[in-house]
Amino acid sequence: MHEMSLALDVCGITERAIGTRSPSLVREVVLDIGDNAGVDPDNFEFCLTALLQSPPFGAAKPVLRRHAGSVLRVAHIEVEECP
Amino acid sequence: MPISIIDVRERVMSKNDKIADTIRLRLGRTKTPAFNLISSPGAGKTLLLERTLEALNTEMEIAVVTGDCQTQNDADRLARHTGRLVQAVITNGGCHLDASQIDKALDAIDLEYTDLLLIENVGNLVCPAGWDLGEDSKIVLFSVTEGEDKPLKYPNAFRNASYVIFTKLDLLPHVDFDMNLALNNARAVNRQLRFFFTSAKSGQGMRDWFEFLNLRVNGALVPAT
Repeated sequence: MHEMSLALDVCGITERAIGTRSPSLVREVVLDIGDNAGVDPDNFEFCLTALLQSPPFGAAKPVLRRHAGSVLRVAHIEVEECP
Repeated sequence: MPISIIDVRERVMSKNDKIADTIRLRLGRTKTPAFNLISSPGAGKTLLLERTLEALNTEMEIAVVTGDCQTQNDADRLARHTGRLVQAVITNGGCHLDASQIDKALDAIDLEYTDLLLIENVGNLVCPAGWDLGEDSKIVLFSVTEGEDKPLKYPNAFRNASYVIFTKLDLLPHVDFDMNLALNNARAVNRQLRFFFTSAKSGQGMRDWFEFLNLRVNGALVPAT
């Protein structure tokens, strides 16, 4: 439940980041996640994978980069620009 | 097709944090201190609040927001001890309160006539630790019927808190709880923690808690964050 709330927040951040670039295909959402972030990485990845299947993300892949500390942020997203 | 990288570097929960900042501004305008009580289920949050309302509701205007997965039982219990509206937030299975729920709950509370806001979070030592509700401080309740290693098992809760209230001290003679070990474990996680030792049932140590709230409400105590 907690991880799902966070995953929803990630989707919101990603949508805002895409902004007016739409329509474009999100390929990857890259996250930095600390060992003390209070998040179970496997559960978080599961939730993200499920949510990122839907439009406007187009089956984007979550990439979790593990770190020390409590960081929890969306680092960058990779998009395929539509012609 | 061309691939591009969009640099984001945005903290997850930043939306929650922004709402928490607006709550802090709302509370700051009326100089209303707010405490976010978190604990395992059954540690005694509701009883502590019942005794607090009984003892202090003639001295100060206390507003309470309670969070539970289901039922408004806690809010109903607390409402018997105050003439004020007790706001019940039912999370429908959600494991914590978030800032938007508190922001909405505050819409029904007249902060101009509120000296103190107490938030009883959902019983859970994991998720509530990570969510800023715009409070001055988080307070962890730690009952003597739990293991002394709770701070080591749930470090984020104790790391993000400013105070720990030990509860159910009346049961201490009947349980194998090593208070010194519990204190050492808590300090190992967060050296800044300050402690209260209470039994809401017998009244032991409650005066210190009430005195703390009085000092904070009267502005004689700087908030610990």
